Amino acid sequence: MTEDQMRELFREMREEPVPADSLARVRLGVDQRLRKRSWWKLAVPLIAAGCILAAFLLLRPARTLIQVQAPSLPEIAHVEPPTDVPIPAAPRPKRVRAKHAGAVPVSIRIETPDPDVVILLVN
Amino acid sequence: MGEIPRERTDSFEQVLRRREAQVLRTAFRILGNWADAEDVAQEAFLRLHRHNLTFANETATGGWLYRVTVNLCLDRMRSARHSTDSQELPDVPSREQSAEAAVLIEEKKRRLMAALATLPAKERAAVVLREIEGLSTAEVAAALGSSEVTVRSQISKAMVKLRGMLTREDV
Repeated sequence: MTEDQMRELFREMREEPVPADSLARVRLGVDQRLRKRSWWKLAVPLIAAGCILAAFLLLRPARTLIQVQAPSLPEIAHVEPPTDVPIPAAPRPKRVRAKHAGAVPVSIRIETPDPDVVILLVN
Repeated sequence: MGEIPRERTDSFEQVLRRREAQVLRTAFRILGNWADAEDVAQEAFLRLHRHNLTFANETATGGWLYRVTVNLCLDRMRSARHSTDSQELPDVPSREQSAEAAVLIEEKKRRLMAALATLPAKERAAVVLREIEGLSTAEVAAALGSSEVTVRSQISKAMVKLRGMLTREDV
């Protein structure tokens, strides 16, 4: 085979069609791999962000919670303003005379300087 | 101001449709089988997509794709050579086989491709790009990352080897 014949054969090969199924497989493969990649494009930043957030929450310095209490106001007695209505007087308790234990007469004799005058108190 | 270059406005999908046959055919001629060629073509287009490249014109797009395709093919051949210690080169079909072929020209093509497969990777790539794809020597040099002188030398050596192999078969 001469060089010219070889070149002629090569030129003919240039015109040969590429098998359609091979072309289809290339398109499909490219499409699938691009889809897979685009999924990762979304997933990777999300996972990374989640890891950073988790690390931040876990590694931050522990703090004791200080409860700030609002100062309690002193209680002020509620004083009702004076009303014009007269306050009814409380019922006065009845005097109770001490009862003598018995009907024993009590007499007190008070002597005066004058021997003739004597004051006598009975009951 | 000139018009906006077409490739700049093209979507990735459009470039894929227009260039897939070129990439697949080149990979097949270098690698010798469709399965590997399909893998290489997929990877070439994924790289195009990943880098989100825009090119000034058709020639630039084609040149970039040829370069990536050839590099991927050379990588694949290199790793295949490493993975198998003694990779057997494909046999050039004998004349007896060709006699049985229905179409003589097809048989010749088959024998030529089989002979091409026995060449060193860079020589094979240079022949495929120059003779089958019809690129200029400068374009082949750009795709292979070598000088035009080297490309001319590689093609010349390759043609001598091919002629030698096919002439022996004819005898």
